[in-house]
Amino acid sequence: MRIPNLFVTSLALCLVTALAWGQGGNNFTMPVEYHKLPNGLKVVLSTDSSSPTVVIAVYYNIGFRIEPKDRTGFAHLFEHMMFQGSNNLGKMEFIQLVQRNGGVLNGSTRFDFTNYFEILPSHKLETALWAEADRMRGLAITQENLTNQQGVVKNEVKVNVINQPYGGFPWLDMPQYANTNWYNAHNFYGDLEHLDAATLEDVQGFFKTYYAPNNAALVVVGDFNPKEALALIQKYFSPIPSAPQPAKPDLGEPRQDKEKRFTKKDTLAFRPGLGFAYHVPERNTPEYYAMGLLDQILVQGDDSRLHQILVKRKGYTAGVGGGINYLLGTMYNYNGPMLWMASLFHDNTVKPDEIMAAVDEAIEEVRTKPVDRATLDRAMVKLRSSFYNNLGGLFGFGRADLLACFALFDDNPSRINTIEDGFRKVTPELILKTAQEYLRPTNRTVLTIEPKSGS
Amino acid sequence: MNFKRCLVLLLIILAVSALAFSQKQAPPEGGTPRDFKLPPKTAFTLPNGLSVTLVPYGTIPKVTVSAIVRAGNLNEKENEVWLADIMGDLMKEGTTTRSAGVIAEEAATMGGTVNINVAPDLTTINGDVLSEFGPSLVRLIADILRNPLLPESELTRIKNDHIRNLSISKSQPGALTLERFRQMMYGDHPYGRIFPTTEMVQNYSIEQVRLFYRNNFGAARTNVYVTGRFDAKAMETALRQAFNGWSKGPAPLVDIPKPVAQKQFHLIDRPGAAQSTIYVGLPVINPADKEYVPLLVTNALLGGSFGSRITSNIREDKGYTYSPSSQISSRYRDAYWVEVADVTTDVTGPSLKEIFYEINRLQNEPPPADELKGIQNYLSGTFVLQNSSRGGIINQLSFLSLHGLKDDYLTNYVKNVHAVTPKDVQRITQTQIRDKDMTLVIAGDKKKIEDQIKEYGNVGETKK
Repeated sequence: MRIPNLFVTSLALCLVTALAWGQGGNNFTMPVEYHKLPNGLKVVLSTDSSSPTVVIAVYYNIGFRIEPKDRTGFAHLFEHMMFQGSNNLGKMEFIQLVQRNGGVLNGSTRFDFTNYFEILPSHKLETALWAEADRMRGLAITQENLTNQQGVVKNEVKVNVINQPYGGFPWLDMPQYANTNWYNAHNFYGDLEHLDAATLEDVQGFFKTYYAPNNAALVVVGDFNPKEALALIQKYFSPIPSAPQPAKPDLGEPRQDKEKRFTKKDTLAFRPGLGFAYHVPERNTPEYYAMGLLDQILVQGDDSRLHQILVKRKGYTAGVGGGINYLLGTMYNYNGPMLWMASLFHDNTVKPDEIMAAVDEAIEEVRTKPVDRATLDRAMVKLRSSFYNNLGGLFGFGRADLLACFALFDDNPSRINTIEDGFRKVTPELILKTAQEYLRPTNRTVLTIEPKSGS
Repeated sequence: MNFKRCLVLLLIILAVSALAFSQKQAPPEGGTPRDFKLPPKTAFTLPNGLSVTLVPYGTIPKVTVSAIVRAGNLNEKENEVWLADIMGDLMKEGTTTRSAGVIAEEAATMGGTVNINVAPDLTTINGDVLSEFGPSLVRLIADILRNPLLPESELTRIKNDHIRNLSISKSQPGALTLERFRQMMYGDHPYGRIFPTTEMVQNYSIEQVRLFYRNNFGAARTNVYVTGRFDAKAMETALRQAFNGWSKGPAPLVDIPKPVAQKQFHLIDRPGAAQSTIYVGLPVINPADKEYVPLLVTNALLGGSFGSRITSNIREDKGYTYSPSSQISSRYRDAYWVEVADVTTDVTGPSLKEIFYEINRLQNEPPPADELKGIQNYLSGTFVLQNSSRGGIINQLSFLSLHGLKDDYLTNYVKNVHAVTPKDVQRITQTQIRDKDMTLVIAGDKKKIEDQIKEYGNVGETKK
């Protein structure tokens, strides 16, 4: 086995304070150290002494997109299994360990990763690293634990989808209608029968393949000493063996050339819902950055074009929400085909066609003439402001999320310090060109939620 | 895969499984704790009674400004439910010098939006922008607070939006259950009125909205908080200029409820529901009580954390539910404890049985010192987190202000958490979490659950 050299990409703590007062010309930068262990584990360290806490995040390069075809919902069910016991920590012991050391924890399953994180007082860094390494090394799961979590996950689907009006709208529904490739278009929460069919062998097989260190990134953000942290990480994670990875399936979506419309009946709802989605440009291309700014112009904030026309001028709805990777993440934390989506609730007296005509009015404007400089500048300020909130979100977890995704998907976590440049390069002409191709009516899917009559 | 590597892998697998049978390793303890000090603050009060608190925090180049006014749904009369919310939305529709469009664009140009949130006791006007725009944000928020136009032209649209939101809320099992729970506990008090009727909203006039503003808004009821990275001098100057001269306004309304503490039960029938939504709880001591911190500790151990007893039981042991939790919900001189859970329909009765079992167990025996110690560490850890974000710091300071608590509530919090003994937890459970005095509301499929829940008494019922 070839052993890659450890390397450090940048160390820029001193710049943080200096640049915080920049008038918008400079990127806000933060320290990023990047290492790879001999077993392939990617390690990112980023210090911040705002508070004496530390975020430990482990990201596995396996999301619900590529779960087994006869086991929909399995990536997410498996996420639950990671809390059910490892070699040295029995059921509930992982959770109790974090809590009794003053921390909080969670995990989540998204399109292209499953993550696990703890936020703890910084002196408990070693405790958390040991525990994460323990469950990366191996699970100790019984049939009883699996059955229990099948029950919990089915209750999760019920409380979020089955027993709720608008359950799954638009975040779970829209990818299923808008995409054509199974990997992008199946039910990510899982059919209840598929959840029931999962076996202990499935769990062990999935773990062995996808939860290997060479398919993962470990990120530490917060108030800690990087040298000490790296030594601990080497101590606990280096002995874990890597595993061969299967080839990634073809995730490609064909270019859509005809508008699609669907109606879903919802017997729990009293008011109609309307959602629409467009396939977005490939990640990290110039058009991708333009799409990020179009998102700001069209749907983010009270000044956005869709808010102004749908809420203020027409009074169709109290609010329109939307975004790239809407409700399942951000425009930064996925790796494959993606949608830009927006949705709203309206009255029975207004027809979806009327609303779509108003949507078209706003969209056609950006497709037919270049946006003015003031609009583009405002979009850039909004984007930076929301990016900084990402960085600071959840006590440093937001920063860890970006670092982990840039390590896993781009092998370059330092992108966190240069990504603003990609947006700055966007011109009104590129916005126009991007809108013309990607905001075509023929590139979109419209989904209406039909409520039960009355009320 | 070649054979040699296969063998290596096999050996590793064998070694790992062997490890599983050998004695378990204990987790490493970690290093020495670092000091946590609350971020230092600067506070001053203007001659008109408006108080200002500035807290520099963090490295992210953003600043949050929140103006929190002691007014909310508490100030609504019986036929004015949501009038405070409608007024709040109308405040964004223009001032004497700025149109709604200008407000939206100005905020966006700073990298933010102005949000107005109405709660029972407090109305918050809040913005979060890039650091360099802090003083501009102060001026914008002050203008909205002091000079709202409350234009009649937008009233019909805003009322329609609320009628639509009302209809959507009334289709959600959680909202329906909370509404009934509050009604049963607070009766005619404003805290018991979660939703208006459609007709009520339709009838609101612009005069009512404007009167509500005049009667309830003013400098003496307002705290302004600034957190994040900012130029302290420039912010102080902007704050003084923007808020000096605002009229003092009325003194806060004090209207303390007398919530019902007795066994009551109500079923909201939702035929075909896959889950039953459960609210079960009772009035408890409020944050001004000296035993409030012991109550917080008790709650975290009983049902208020992932590792708590009720959650371990009905989620991690039985798999009845996904996100059960108990909480203490507080308002001015008022609080209740409640356990909330959405459980699979056919285990509605068994879920309740386990919830009461865990309450009774904690009444009957003090928790092991170890378990309590774990919860105390958890609360001290999360206390640091609660004070480690721009929004979190504002929440903490606003909590102190509303409940009339001194800074020592925060500075002594960790010490007070650790002073709680197992016997205290048992006593607090006995005196505060009294199962015989609880209000229980369930929204679920009556046909399937009524036999399971007979023992909880006579069923008051609504059809949904």
